[in-house]
Amino acid sequence: MSALQRVTQWQTFARTWHLFDARWQNPFECSSLIAKHLQGRHKPIYHPLNDCGDMVVAINTRHIALASDEWIKRVYFHHTGYPGGATWTLAWELHDKDPTMILKKAVYSAIKNNLQRRTTMQRLFLYPDDKIPDDILANITNQIRSPRPVPTPLPDPASEEFQSFPRIAPFPEDYVLK
Amino acid sequence: MVFTSAVQLAKRAGLDQYWKKRRIFRLSAHYYGRARNCYVLAIRAVHRSLAFATKARKFKKEDMAQLWETRIAAGSEQHGVKYPHLREGLHRCNIHLNRKTLADLAIWEPYTFRALTQIAWTKMRQDGDREVKEMDGIPPNNVVVPSSKN
Repeated sequence: MSALQRVTQWQTFARTWHLFDARWQNPFECSSLIAKHLQGRHKPIYHPLNDCGDMVVAINTRHIALASDEWIKRVYFHHTGYPGGATWTLAWELHDKDPTMILKKAVYSAIKNNLQRRTTMQRLFLYPDDKIPDDILANITNQIRSPRPVPTPLPDPASEEFQSFPRIAPFPEDYVLK
Repeated sequence: MVFTSAVQLAKRAGLDQYWKKRRIFRLSAHYYGRARNCYVLAIRAVHRSLAFATKARKFKKEDMAQLWETRIAAGSEQHGVKYPHLREGLHRCNIHLNRKTLADLAIWEPYTFRALTQIAWTKMRQDGDREVKEMDGIPPNNVVVPSSKN
């Protein structure tokens, strides 16, 4: 085996660490993308019995975006197992409690239920903001492209960019701005 | 076979029964528990497993096709081309490779496979496919494909 072949084999079977920026992303859209990388379905050597899944580090999970009024309509069900132990938690309540939980549950649902599911989930690291522990940051070598473009927020009304933006007509003298 | 007496016939009947059970026990030899050695249970288990085997002949083909599609899609997305565009582009270029071959190329001949993705990409762009034109990534500029006759 030549040196090139040896290195090619290392690279083929090595576990890659991917970074995923969840800012302004719909967790239910990008969950399948993350699940694909966790299971290794993005590699031509994929096989269900072949342990070729990669590691994914998802950051900014606090800043995910849910479509429409899903923050108040989506409900997470939990049952303790005791009588009367059922609870229904709204998405915004769950997000207040744990900002990584919505994305985590979305990815968990995107993975088919089998014996590999829990092991696959252990390869996912979730962080509410862009602070990653150094030992994990040191491993990252690739970034997964976010499916949706991040919208640019409106500039501060006091900023020069906002003031210099061309207007159709000036406000009347007696108009009170909020 | 000639039976000289009724006794011979009775013996023969018993032997037939032995060999009939033997055929079933051969198929149940690797089962666990009483399904291996008790005929009443063994024949049920064998019929059940043969029924599964009949269905599995179809499922095996479907499962393999699905696995090949996953692998081809993974390989082509590494080069920025989606699976449907790859198949359509190759078909239009008269490159009729099946899924098994494409999957094997994606694993063992990555450079050949990249060339195939680039052919498909160029062909689809040349034919004015809207989705392919809007794709991210730099299209290949050193590939020549035959133009469509229409």
